[in-house]
Amino acid sequence: MGVSIEQKTRKKAQLPPFWSLVEAHGSELLAHARRLAGDDAEDVVQEALLKALRSYPRLAHGEHLRAWLYRVTTTTAFDLGARARRATALPAPSPEPAQVFADEVAPFEKLIEPLSPALKETLELRFVEDLRYEEIGRRLGCNEVAARQRVSSALRALRRRMT
Amino acid sequence: MKLTEGFLEGVAAAAVDDGLVDAYYATVTTALGKLLVIETPQGVCRVGFEEEDPDALLANVALRVGPRIVRAKGATSEARDALEAYLSGEQNALELPVDLALAPSTFGRSVLAGLAAVPRGTVTTYASLAASIGCPGAARAVGTALGRNPVPIVIPCHRVVPGGGGVGGYAGGAARKELLLRLEGYAQGPTPSRGS
Repeated sequence: MGVSIEQKTRKKAQLPPFWSLVEAHGSELLAHARRLAGDDAEDVVQEALLKALRSYPRLAHGEHLRAWLYRVTTTTAFDLGARARRATALPAPSPEPAQVFADEVAPFEKLIEPLSPALKETLELRFVEDLRYEEIGRRLGCNEVAARQRVSSALRALRRRMT
Repeated sequence: MKLTEGFLEGVAAAAVDDGLVDAYYATVTTALGKLLVIETPQGVCRVGFEEEDPDALLANVALRVGPRIVRAKGATSEARDALEAYLSGEQNALELPVDLALAPSTFGRSVLAGLAAVPRGTVTTYASLAASIGCPGAARAVGTALGRNPVPIVIPCHRVVPGGGGVGGYAGGAARKELLLRLEGYAQGPTPSRGS
């Protein structure tokens, strides 16, 4: 019964569905992030993809999208790296645990103090205990996907408080 | 080195939660085969049968709705579960919010809206549907509009049959149309009154 709606609307070049880029280039972006950020590669890719998604509709054309994703991943890795270095900039070469607590953990605890206990716990597991998402899920009684979502929404809540 | 399904689903879920997406999609396996379900935050905007090229379907959504499209199982689970339950006969109602962003015209939308008056287990004809929306004589145009229904099954264009008998055409093929009508209890085959 007539042509399908897809055939009817074929016209000028346009931006492809974002996920087709993720499927085509996701693995190489992860490898790229691994070279730049080591074990934090997945965090880098996650943040880079969300950042890319935010600006995607504003791109002027659909060319060089792979290069654009590499660029976003690179800047994200450097941003996260710089943030991590600031957080770990310590005077002593091998600090005492008490010193680490005073310099790193205590300010972080103060930062997340206003959040709900559940959000606090989530952020502590990720950034103080530095656990992988799989383990965070085990500790929170949920799966890895849900753990990622919880960390991401806890970070959002924290960001809202800081702005 | 590969991104895991769990990682990708987590990114997609975060993107949906953050309101960063125009649409999200996933597939579901049903009695009518594998269906591609595409949703916007307003509702289901496209259901595709497995013969339809998913890349073309998604490209069209990118063009008409927006390119921020992610594959998200969680965000589409309600629609996918509902379709699966309806098509397996487990549920008799299929009530899902729809987004008619892909319906080609105002006329097309009024034709699809007219289907609300055709309940499960019954059928109407192209001619009576045309008359019921105030366009008597537009049976052929009604047929064309139904053929472009972006959300088949959810909007039941399969309940419209030719006045002359038979089940008529269907985007998913006549066999699926028959199966749907049988599932909905319209077992005796269409026997609309002569001349309608």
